[in-house]
Amino acid sequence: MELIILLLVLAVLAFWAASIYNQLVALKNRHENGFSQIEVQLKRRYDLIPNLVETAKAYMAHERDTLEAVIAARNQAMAGLEAAAGNPGDGTAMKELAGAEGILTNAMGRLNVVMEAYPDLKANTNMMQLTEELTTTENKVAFSRQAFNDQVTEYNTYRASFPPILFANIFGHPTDAQLLEFEDSAEIQAAPKVSF
Amino acid sequence: MNFFQAQDRARGKTRLLIFLFIAAIASLVVLTNLLAAVALGFGLGPDVLAAQPPEIWLLISVGVVGVIAIASLFKFLTLRGGGRVVAESLGGQPVRQNTENPQQRQLLNVVEEMAIAAGLPVPPVYLIPEPSINAFAAGYSQDDAVIGINQGTLDLLNRDELQGVVAHEFSHIINGDMRINIRLIALLSGILFIGMIGYGLLRGSAFSRSKDRGQQMALALGLIIVGYGGTFFGNLIKAAVSRQREFLADAAAVQFTRSNDGIANALKKIGGHATGSEIKAKTADESSHLFFGSIKSFSRLMATHPPLEDRIKALQPQWQGSLSNDGNGRTHQSTAGFAGTNASSTNRPDAVVNQIGQGHVEAAATLLQSCNPRLANAAHDPYEARGLIYAMLIDKNAEVAQGQLDTIHAQAEPGVPGYTERLLPLVQASNSSQLLLLLEMAMPTLKELSFRQYKRFSNNAAELIVFDQQVDIFEWVLHRVMTKELYAHFEHPHRAAGRIGSFRKLHRQVCSLLSAIAHRSSAAKNSYEAGAKRLNLTLPLSSLADFDYEQLNDVLGQLRNLKPLQKQQLLEACAAVALADGQLHPDQHALLHGIAATLDCPLPLSSQPGSAK
Repeated sequence: MELIILLLVLAVLAFWAASIYNQLVALKNRHENGFSQIEVQLKRRYDLIPNLVETAKAYMAHERDTLEAVIAARNQAMAGLEAAAGNPGDGTAMKELAGAEGILTNAMGRLNVVMEAYPDLKANTNMMQLTEELTTTENKVAFSRQAFNDQVTEYNTYRASFPPILFANIFGHPTDAQLLEFEDSAEIQAAPKVSF
Repeated sequence: MNFFQAQDRARGKTRLLIFLFIAAIASLVVLTNLLAAVALGFGLGPDVLAAQPPEIWLLISVGVVGVIAIASLFKFLTLRGGGRVVAESLGGQPVRQNTENPQQRQLLNVVEEMAIAAGLPVPPVYLIPEPSINAFAAGYSQDDAVIGINQGTLDLLNRDELQGVVAHEFSHIINGDMRINIRLIALLSGILFIGMIGYGLLRGSAFSRSKDRGQQMALALGLIIVGYGGTFFGNLIKAAVSRQREFLADAAAVQFTRSNDGIANALKKIGGHATGSEIKAKTADESSHLFFGSIKSFSRLMATHPPLEDRIKALQPQWQGSLSNDGNGRTHQSTAGFAGTNASSTNRPDAVVNQIGQGHVEAAATLLQSCNPRLANAAHDPYEARGLIYAMLIDKNAEVAQGQLDTIHAQAEPGVPGYTERLLPLVQASNSSQLLLLLEMAMPTLKELSFRQYKRFSNNAAELIVFDQQVDIFEWVLHRVMTKELYAHFEHPHRAAGRIGSFRKLHRQVCSLLSAIAHRSSAAKNSYEAGAKRLNLTLPLSSLADFDYEQLNDVLGQLRNLKPLQKQQLLEACAAVALADGQLHPDQHALLHGIAATLDCPLPLSSQPGSAK
């Protein structure tokens, strides 16, 4: 009888470990899939930027440096996205993407400042539409990034909880997944400031 | 067989399932004991066998039952998450509602049209990375159901055929097959588990060098033999529970699409394709009964699905047996009996209720096209969908509206308030049935939110609804649909027990429900009596002063526990009240929609009577 009880207890333990394994896999898959939504929005952003630069060129021929800096930063960020999409949650890839995004945001910020000097450009319908769409896309990026980070946090919390932490290493989940934080995240999270 | 009868029959199947499961366990116990006796007898001699204490057989039996029970229980616990857990365990990846891949876009469109046609919540779709042609539907209820589609299905089928396959899966959702299917997965994984231990041991012993290797091998082989017994019974159970329903689902697909060819050609392509409908995922064995086509070739007795040829013949009696048919010279046939569910016939209560579980894909597609394309796009983007729902809840009164917008400004994510304001004029230009349609379209999108985002969203929506201290019908319906579908996805799937077979215990609840509808028509008392008569109610019309939406929610919560056939009577009575004055008021139509949704009875929005504007 003792043998049977022992076997049943072992069976329960085995199933329990298996369910921890499955849960780890499921949570990892979920946040990795979650990255695809960020990818869609970032790609949209990278597609819009050249159009914006093209429209701006016609009005601000003297600001080539600023425009070129935007394009260069955009290309850099696009490469970063491709690397990150192949391995969402990986520390280096995520940090590189975040860094490239930071440079792009800075370049875009400079462009916006320069554009203040060109009222005609700001009044251009095409430009207004593009700016509008770009703002919406940036909000969407922030939103899908929040969803992704929530899922990463869920995975990390589960991984670090007891008892999964005992098995995480053996089951092939040795490290926490990396959150995707952009430098501007503080600004995006805060309520929009209205300045007159 | 209508929707309610199908649900009722599906419930009856549960008993058969339990009986077969117990029979399977009993057989496995006998088989294991027999095998142990043979092993002892041959291995150690008959004397040793005779000398064994009788308890040993009891111990073996307890062990077998215990292992099966534990395996099933764990699987059952895992599956509590609902349909998406099943899809994920088969390697499925969610298809984003705002996807730009044309193939996936088409798939989502087909699923959406079918759901609207059937009046069901639009289910999230998962893509299974397998090159063969197959699909499944999984979940406990309509609200946590998901549809899974193989990549091969998208690559190899055209739109009509895809539509046929998707319609077939929807029939499983409607007929209540899914709930049994998901329980069956848990039971099967228990029965199949012993064989799996055997294979594991065999693989382990192949590498071990200990001197017990021979014994280990013998044990492994024994377990595998017992495992075959498990597989045998498992397949018998699947065949008993699922085979006949495949024909029914094929027939339902014809009814939804009004065409025999889509689904018949899909079946022919499975027959003509190299990998057919085969699934390679390791976990697929215990869920093979979910799929559109059989995942392996079985002998006739144990097949989970009827032979392809029989299914095609049932759809196309004149078919000659060529599998790579291109589908030229198609004959669109309307099946008799389903053709006449048009708007003009909805003035009788039973006609309204008979639409449940029926539906026509083309009508739904037309209805979908009547929505503003900008709003339809918004419904498919997780960021914009929230703005859309918020805009639906903004009051027409400017003062209230400003207060509501301030609330969103303070509590929603940045950018959302501006977005809501921009959608507002478009939303206000739409009629209430278009808005309900957009709401349904937004549901799978909102299921893509993270849990924290969902919480924030649903709190904001609730605050907007009660902002002006009163709730109107549209707000109520919107809240019902939303909480029901999102709760099932994010918190946990609800399971309506459906055990109450008589109205006697719920007399008061039925009266207050009918009264609520009656007060929306010109002659409340007459209307109420038209419905009360049908159910032999004796209580009089309750006064309007007693009514509030919270109470209505409680009442519906209790009425959900009625058995399917009683739900049909109840809904017919509701329709009778609404139609007593000869017309269906838009308010009453919305109310009926909300009631039917809460009772898990899919009343198609496309059944819109012409008068509702």
